[in-house]
Amino acid sequence: MKESAALNRALKEGRRHLTEVESKELLKEAGIPVIESRLARSKEEALSLAREMGFPVVLKVVSPSIVHKSDIGGVKLGLGGEEEVAKAYDEITASVRQNQPSASLQGVSVQRMARPGVEVIIGMNKDPQFGPVLMFGLGGVLVEVLKDVSFRIVPLTRRDASQMIREIKGFPILEGYRGQEPADIELLEDTILKLSDFVESHPQIKELDLNPIFAYKDGLAAVDARVVLEEEAGA
Amino acid sequence: MANKGLDRVFNPRTVAVVGDKRAQDYFWLKSLTTFQGKAYSVQVDEGEIPGIKELGFENYASLLDIPEPVDYVIVSVPRKVAPLILEECIRKGVGGATFFTSGFAETDTQEGISLQNTLTEMAREAGFNLIGPNCMGIFNPSIGLRFSPMQYHGHGGKVAFISQSGTHTLLFSLVGEASGVRVSKSVSFGNAVVLDSPDYMEYFAQDSETKVLAMYIEGVKDGRRFYNTLKETASKKPVLVWKGGQTQDGARAASSHTAALATSQAVWEAMVRQVGAININDMDDLIDTIKALLHIKPIKGPRMGLVAMTGGQSVIISDAFAKAGFQIPEFTPESYRELASFIRLVGASYRNPLDVSWSLGSVDRAMRILHILEKDDNVDTIVLELNKTFLDEGVSLKKRKKFTTDLIRALGEFRERSSKSFFTIVIPANKEVEALNLSKALMEKGIASYPTFKRGAQALRRVADYYLARSV
Repeated sequence: MKESAALNRALKEGRRHLTEVESKELLKEAGIPVIESRLARSKEEALSLAREMGFPVVLKVVSPSIVHKSDIGGVKLGLGGEEEVAKAYDEITASVRQNQPSASLQGVSVQRMARPGVEVIIGMNKDPQFGPVLMFGLGGVLVEVLKDVSFRIVPLTRRDASQMIREIKGFPILEGYRGQEPADIELLEDTILKLSDFVESHPQIKELDLNPIFAYKDGLAAVDARVVLEEEAGA
Repeated sequence: MANKGLDRVFNPRTVAVVGDKRAQDYFWLKSLTTFQGKAYSVQVDEGEIPGIKELGFENYASLLDIPEPVDYVIVSVPRKVAPLILEECIRKGVGGATFFTSGFAETDTQEGISLQNTLTEMAREAGFNLIGPNCMGIFNPSIGLRFSPMQYHGHGGKVAFISQSGTHTLLFSLVGEASGVRVSKSVSFGNAVVLDSPDYMEYFAQDSETKVLAMYIEGVKDGRRFYNTLKETASKKPVLVWKGGQTQDGARAASSHTAALATSQAVWEAMVRQVGAININDMDDLIDTIKALLHIKPIKGPRMGLVAMTGGQSVIISDAFAKAGFQIPEFTPESYRELASFIRLVGASYRNPLDVSWSLGSVDRAMRILHILEKDDNVDTIVLELNKTFLDEGVSLKKRKKFTTDLIRALGEFRERSSKSFFTIVIPANKEVEALNLSKALMEKGIASYPTFKRGAQALRRVADYYLARSV
């Protein structure tokens, strides 16, 4: 299998944490719908990318050494015009320098502000006994509070994917509780199965989170992604 | 494969015990007084031999001296001698051996670990079926092969049990029998240095006497092999998995949400669900669920038809089944009409739950109620409370014994004939012994009974989830 440029770059640099831009690039190759993030190394590049993508946009700090971006003021949402983008760029870089001066900064990522949907998480972790395990649950910040998640061992069958989605307590929310927009369950199953294949063919990946994924009635989009490689992946 | 030939080990015709002695009250030999094949003793200590002969066993100085082939050996010698005995087992060509001897890796000492490695290497090289060490080995009641004089023998049951713990294997046989659940064969396998849980699973998956497989597991050596074997086994028969050591891992430093949430307990339970096996929490849960699997016909829907003996109980029985996720619908109008035609007791209610107001009255009346619920299209499962206290109150002392016998027989016939799932709740209240006897008598007719509404409801939930997962 052809290895992705993003993966190779991280391996060559001896990095275990892929940036959001790299993680999404990798997952896009796996056929998983992501909101594309592109790296801007300067304010001018950020402005030009924002114009190209169309407003509103989101800016996020890109640094291999920063894991929780929003905790240090590294995420700015719903930027409606050029002035806001320029201001957000300055604020993010200033905030990072102040809160984590040691962080090596690649720049900021620019992505189109996605229409909100039901927030879910799909992730993978390696269990010491059973190997790669997929997780599904209600995503965003809810995952930390409610921990409403289910697990299955890789590889998954369609039945496994279907059951793990229906197993969470919050499943009625995915069905469109009280007139809210439902999620396309079959597409969620497809995405879980694609991720199961992807994980099987990429043993060098140690853990990953797609969180949040916005699930819509006719689609879905991973808004943020995080991939961590095995220690010995580069060997 | 080391596990080839396990049939010979689980169904031996000749058995030898090496190293049994007075200090442990000859419990191995005493356990084997019920063995239907031939059992020998091997002991070199002259002081022990008279005691062994007194129990009626022939004694030899070495396994190699026994004048016929030996299928199964129980080794109860000091750990230093264990490799020597293993060598004799291999030379003798025995089918397999349980090493009761302990003091190996579980002691975490250099000597223990090194002796265990020696045993492991010898057995692996010879392709020898070594069970243990540090375990009780095999229980096969139908041939009287026991590992404790407390265990029963005679006809075997339908449930195999495999366990890392000897205590749980013993208790499962004792508690199970008291609840009407008998073992087909069981094995306590201790440190599992050669034969491990997947080997036993493979054996019981194809064992025709075993209809249900239960296991107590503390840890597995090869997770993927365990997973694949469990999946294969669970596709053939119901498998119940009781995991010991279920405490949460401490908070982990992890950079992803998935890694932080994927505790070994969460992953284990998901794994069991994924393969279509049943997660079990404790011994009561285990035995309750087995009773439901063996004696309650597969549940077809969530709707309960409940019969309670008093008003208070009818409230509590509803709560228990509703909490377990079942529905308690109204009966059909035809059922109401029929029930109203003969239930006229003051205080009785013929709604669901049906409250018979202290007394089933007569066997005929009880059966009439059950037949109405059986015909009722709103009901999938019928549960009958048989509260020993109220049951006895309702019948004169003179007629009590006959009433109980007749009722049990009629309920047995009903269970046999009815297409609906049906079971009983026998609440002991102040008549524990009588209730236990009633439960056993019911179980002999194939009728499951539970001592509380809650346990009955939970057992039904377990099997409902099991059948539901298999139907999707």
